[in-house]
Amino acid sequence: MKIWSTEHNFSYPWEAVVKAAMRKYPNPMNPNVTGVDVLDRGLDCRGRLHSHRLLSTEWGLPSIVRTILGANHTQTYVKEHSIVDPEEKKMELCSTNITLTNLISVDERLVYQPHPENPDVTVLTQEAIITVKGVSLSSYLESMMARRMTANARKGTT
Amino acid sequence: MNSVGEACTDLKREYDQCFNRWFAEKFLKGDRSADPCTESFRNYQRCVHKAIRDKDIPIEGVDFMGPAKDKGHGD
Repeated sequence: MKIWSTEHNFSYPWEAVVKAAMRKYPNPMNPNVTGVDVLDRGLDCRGRLHSHRLLSTEWGLPSIVRTILGANHTQTYVKEHSIVDPEEKKMELCSTNITLTNLISVDERLVYQPHPENPDVTVLTQEAIITVKGVSLSSYLESMMARRMTANARKGTT
Repeated sequence: MNSVGEACTDLKREYDQCFNRWFAEKFLKGDRSADPCTESFRNYQRCVHKAIRDKDIPIEGVDFMGPAKDKGHGD
């Protein structure tokens, strides 16, 4: 398990940053995101906007990895829940992968808030918990490869 | 940005345009009037949920880290 966190200041007020964050994709800094959809959206009783979104990502994995994982694993999906509170000026996003979950979990949380000393600056706090499943990744991939070779042998494709 | 379901991209763009306008010009400015995007959202949703079923994307039953609970605020 790896825990990673970072903080970044944007020299823009919170509303401008949040408007941009809502329209974050596509962007050339993250070309892996190939699709974004809103699954559900609505206001809660406190007037905060909740959005549940589905992101599709394409990692362009090397062909050997595609063989091991199966061709349909090159497209991975991430589910994201965001909450925008315009009164408290806080936007929070939580996301997690919903495919390849037997191999890896990447849970990410982002919070955008005005800088406590300067309203023209917005602070982004970002943290991620990354867990690789199984005894070790290499032994998992090895057994997966063995199973795939056995399956292909049965189909007469090796 | 495209939709996850290729056929839904046009519906998505129509909805996104409506939502982004309401979000920036009303919601963030404290205007509590309802968003005018219900119709376009409904059309878009119908398409997306069908695409998710067709592609067998596992959107149900996911546990999130979850947003932190604020101290002193009830839910």
